[in-house]
Order: sequence, then structure tokens, then C-alpha cells
Amino acid sequence: MSYTVLGVNHKTAPIELRERIAISRDELPEVTRALAATPGVSECMIVSTCNRVELITATDSSEVDLSAFLCNQFGLDPALLSGHIYQHRDQQAVRHLFRVASSLDSMVVGESQILGQVKEAFATARAAGTVGSELDHLLQSAFSAAKKVRSETEIGSNSVSIASVAVELARKIFGSLQGRTVFLVGAGKMSELAARHLVQQGAGTILVTNRTMERAQRMAEPFNGQVIPFEKLYDYAAEADIIITSTGAPHHIFRREHGQAFLHKRRNRPMFFIDIAVPRDVDPAMNKVEGLFVYDIDDLQQVAAAHIAERKSIAAGAEVLVEGEVERFHQRRRTVNVAPVIVALQRQAEELRQAEIRRIQSRLGSLTAEQAAAVEALTRGLMNKFLHPPMQALKQAARENDAVRLDALCETYSLPNSQAGPEAVAAPAEQSNRTSPDAPAPERQTSVAGRR
Amino acid sequence: MVLLWLRVAAILYAGASIAIFPAVLHNRERWKSVAVHLGGLAFFFHFVSVVEMLALAHRWVPAGVRETESLLGLVVAGLFFLMWWLYKAMSLGIFALPVTFFIVFVPALGVEKYVFPSYGVRMSWLVAHVVALMAAYAALGFSIVASGMYLLQERRIKSKVKPGSTNGQTSVEWLPPLDTLERIAHATLLFGFPCMTVGLVIGSVLVQETDLGAAYFRDPKILASFIMWASYVLLLFWRSRAGLRGRKAAYLSGAVFLVMLAVWAANQFSQVHRFGAP
Repeated sequence: MSYTVLGVNHKTAPIELRERIAISRDELPEVTRALAATPGVSECMIVSTCNRVELITATDSSEVDLSAFLCNQFGLDPALLSGHIYQHRDQQAVRHLFRVASSLDSMVVGESQILGQVKEAFATARAAGTVGSELDHLLQSAFSAAKKVRSETEIGSNSVSIASVAVELARKIFGSLQGRTVFLVGAGKMSELAARHLVQQGAGTILVTNRTMERAQRMAEPFNGQVIPFEKLYDYAAEADIIITSTGAPHHIFRREHGQAFLHKRRNRPMFFIDIAVPRDVDPAMNKVEGLFVYDIDDLQQVAAAHIAERKSIAAGAEVLVEGEVERFHQRRRTVNVAPVIVALQRQAEELRQAEIRRIQSRLGSLTAEQAAAVEALTRGLMNKFLHPPMQALKQAARENDAVRLDALCETYSLPNSQAGPEAVAAPAEQSNRTSPDAPAPERQTSVAGRR
Repeated sequence: MVLLWLRVAAILYAGASIAIFPAVLHNRERWKSVAVHLGGLAFFFHFVSVVEMLALAHRWVPAGVRETESLLGLVVAGLFFLMWWLYKAMSLGIFALPVTFFIVFVPALGVEKYVFPSYGVRMSWLVAHVVALMAAYAALGFSIVASGMYLLQERRIKSKVKPGSTNGQTSVEWLPPLDTLERIAHATLLFGFPCMTVGLVIGSVLVQETDLGAAYFRDPKILASFIMWASYVLLLFWRSRAGLRGRKAAYLSGAVFLVMLAVWAANQFSQVHRFGAP
């Protein structure tokens, strides 16, 4: 069983191509099931975001043509895809997925949305019934690698979008944004986005004003905001902790004397002005007044740019972490792949033990229950002690991907050939753990091996 | 009976002094009512005590320090209630009521100076005095540190320092939010104030037992302590009533901190209050 990732992303394909193969949330389950029906695909999922579309599969043959599926599904000319598509197999595929989940492959390195998007895609595929133990194992490892990267590096500690920089600054002033009042002055996409970020962080009341009442109402609707007539702007401004302004006014609508009047009304509680307008709505001199904090679009962009530069240096450390996680994943996988061989060895030994007990039964005569239990314990103990070295050797050989040694061990103990390399088909967990009720708990031993 | 009424008055003044702080600083109507009623009752019993004291003596002038203190307390409380009645100036109460209590407290202990029943009891009072004042100093210290951090953080935000810039300001990116620092500075002051008040009251009990008596309060160390207490009250009052916060509040906290250092320094010049020789 091998992993394959095929896709396009913001680095390899222009937006025109990406939007042609983008899959909506509603279509995703159906397209995922169609991919699962492709010959050779055992398990699959699809990650489709604005920056990438990726088919993540577990296949039982290396001949599966995923690009053909993509072309057929979206009616694309294969020539159109060539040069824009990338395909990774096995270790490369695992590494790629780990990097994607850890946000090292994102346009904004360290952004936190991608992990949620991958989790959502995984949940969709699970619901569609296209995920089995192989992808489950892979994705769980990818999620834990992403978690490790976020917790052990500072890659996600600095916001980068204008909106999130605004939120970060608001937090530096107010701490918790719980129950804070936000006033949107003028309607704009960016101010709406900033307001949404603030609401997500707990901001309570949203006030909206605009010269056009209709637009103000439209903007207030998603936030359950209160619409304020534009002529009452200065009456209500003092109630706001954060004012996001983006009007098309040719002059400053908030001047120093306004700021001082607001502070007087607020008994000096601080105010934060986020001025997204060009030309600016807020007189920069207001920033000199104690208790007033004014950031314009340039200030916010400079903070965002500085964060991006910082993240690039942090990403190097994160790459090393991901590499370690990829290696660990492969080691675990190889150890798990030897499980069927170990089960076969245990079953073989158990059958021998049972046969020997039956053979000697007539010579032992009638035994009391205690004596029978003692014989049982003695033989089982001996068997486990004899099995311990070859089992350790099998696990070690699997971890080191030593196919020669594995074959030699299988031959020595007359076991079925393991093919326990990375390209081997792993036995499903439920199958590998199935043993006779008398068997000496292989489940426990293989799971221990799997955790190493 | 003179002493009994005075003691009742002292207890009621203590209650009114506690109630006046939430009443004035947080504008709580219920506390205002409590403070006025307790203060009014205290004034009534105090008045009875003073009249009885003077009538018993068949004279209209007080004799001795304790009688004078009691009369002065009555005048201070009377003036406060007059101001409150004429101008509704309840905020004066945060000075007038505790001051009245301080003045009345020592005469309420007895005609003669109060003597501790044993050395152990006196030491316990001394330990409580030291602990309460140390707690007040520590709280004020925290408040000044939080205020200093506030100034740094405010400067960082206003100067729009970019992350990763090399102007030396990035080393303080760990600073808490302004609002948090403001609340720490205020909360530590609120904690320190009762500690300081209790410490000074206990100190007054301890000092009245000495031979110095009222002369003790002319000592620079003791004067500085009461000035610090008054500064503390001013600071709390301005913060809560005038909405003083941020930079100005930080500077004012710094001023109170300087007074605190002066109190410590005064130990070097004090004839009556030295560490190790209370």
C-alpha cells in the first residue's frame, strides 16, 4: 500500500486554473466518492481551498493515474494541467502532507486556517466512507505533527493579515476583547473583516454608521449590530472602545478635539482607532493624546510585513521538526507492517504447544485443576521466552527496513514472506489482531510495537 | 458613661470609615446610606460623650490631651456633616471620617493610657503593625512596577514598533496589555490602603502606651507616614472619581512611592521610631 498526493497550489498554478478545479463544500463528498471509485484507489480524501486542490490517496498499485481523474472530473485538457501539477509518493507524500497541515506550504506561512481545512476535508471523507486505517493513521500523524510545530515553534504566534494585526493591537490595549464595543464608520470589505475578527475574539456590541443608511443596515446585519445615523456619529463614538473607520471623506472626520471630548465622556478609558481609509479619516495628531491609539492602513501593513519576515526564519526550525515527524511516522509504519508476521509466528508456536500438550496428555494421566494450570503456565512461559528474541529481531529489521534480514527470519521460522518494507501492504489492524482465544495476547505486543 | 459613649462612637466611626470608600470611590448608593447613617449615629454618641464630659467637669473648655482630641474629632465630624448637608459633598468623607476615627480612637481607649496586659500581647500588636505596613508597602511597590510597565507598553503601542525591529523595544514584547497593567496598578492600591490604615491604627495604639504620648506624632517619620496615608487616599480618590488612569496615574503612583521612600528614609532621622527600637 502506498500513499500518493496529487494536486495544484498557489505556487504551481494560476488562480484561473485553481478556480476551475476548486470543489465546493457541497460537492466535496460526491467528488471524494468518485475518486474512491477509481481503480487502484483504496482510500482517499480531497483538500480543496482557495490556494490548493489536493487528492490524497492510499493506493494498492503505483499505476493509478490521478491526473486523469482530475481531467475527467472537471473536463480539462491534460495539456492545461501539465507543468502546474505536482505528484508525491510515499515518503515524499507524507512529508508534503505534514508540511501542508503544519502551514509550512501555505501562502502565509504559519496561518492557522489550513489545519482546520485539512481536518474538515478528512471529516468529509470519513463521512463519505472513503477513509480506512491507512489514511486515518497518516492524517492523525499529520495533525499531531502540525500541533507539535505550533506548540514548539512560534510560527503561529504572530498574526499577519491586516484584520488580525488590528485584533492583536486591540488585545495589547484592552487585553480581553470580551464585551468591548466596536464602531464601524463607513462600509468597506476590510473594515467588515476586521470587525468579524474582533467579534470572533469576543467583542460585544457592534455599532455601524454610513452616509447611506441602507449600506449601514446591510453591514450591521451579520453582526446583529446597531445602526447609527451618520449625523449622530460624534454622539455615539465615545461609547466605542474600538473605532474602525473607512469612509471616502476627503478630510479628517476625527480630529484631536473630538478625541479629547470622547475621552472626557469616557472618563479617560482608552480608545483604539483603526483607520483603513485613504485619504485618512483620523487626524494622526490624535495619537499624541494620552489614551488614544491611532493606527492607519500603512501602520497595519508594516506590522503585518514584519510578522511575515519573522515567520520565514521560524519556518526553518519547523521544517526540521516536520522532518523528524515524517521519519517517526515511517518507523512506526514499518513496525506495524511486521505485525502479521509476528501474529503468524505466535500462532505457529501456540499450535505447536497445544499439539505437544495433547501428545503428552496420556502419559500425564488425570491431573488436578491446579496441576493442569501449572503445566499450562509452564509451557506458555517457555513459549513466550523462546519467542521473545525472534520477535525483537523482526521488529528491529522492520524498523531498519532490512528486507534481507526479514526474509531470513521468515525463512528460519517457516513464516509467510512479510514484504514489510515501506511499499508493503499493511495488514488492517483488526485483521492483524485477530488470534485464537488461546493465543498469548499478540494484540498487546503488536500495539506496543506500533507505539514505539 | 463618657467613655462608653465615646467607645460606641469610635466603633461607629470605624464602620462609617469603611463604608465611605465604596460609597465615594465606586459611587454605591447603598454604601452612601450606610456611611451617612453610621457616621450620623457616631456623631450623635460622640456629641453626647463630649457634652457629658464637659457638663460633669462644670467647665466649657477641655482639660488634657485626650479631652482635646475628642473635641477636635467632634468638630471635624461636625464640619463634614455640615458640608454634606449644604453641598452634598460626600467625597470629603473619605478624609473626614477616617481622620475623625484616628483622632477619637486614642481617647476612647481610656482616660489613662491603655496598658497592654502582657509583653506577649504587646509584641503581637507590634507584629501585626509591621506586617500590615509591609503588606501596604509591597502593594504600593507592585502598583508602581505595574505603572512603569504601563508607561513602557503605552510608548511601544504609540510609537508603532514593528516586530523584529532593532530599536531595543522588541525586548519588552512580553509586556501584558495596558488594561491588565492598569487593573493591577489599581487593585494593588486598593489592597494596600486598608493594610496601611490598619497598620497606622495599630501603631497609634502602641504609641499611646509610651511616655511620649501625643508628642510622638510630631516626629518626622510618623508625620511622613500620615502624609503617605493621605497621599494614598488622594490617589485612590482621583483614580476612581476623576477617572485618572494611564500616564497621569502612573506619575501620581510614582509620587506616592517617593513619599514611601521618604518614610523609610525618615527612620534615619526619627528620634522615636527606629527599626529594632519601636
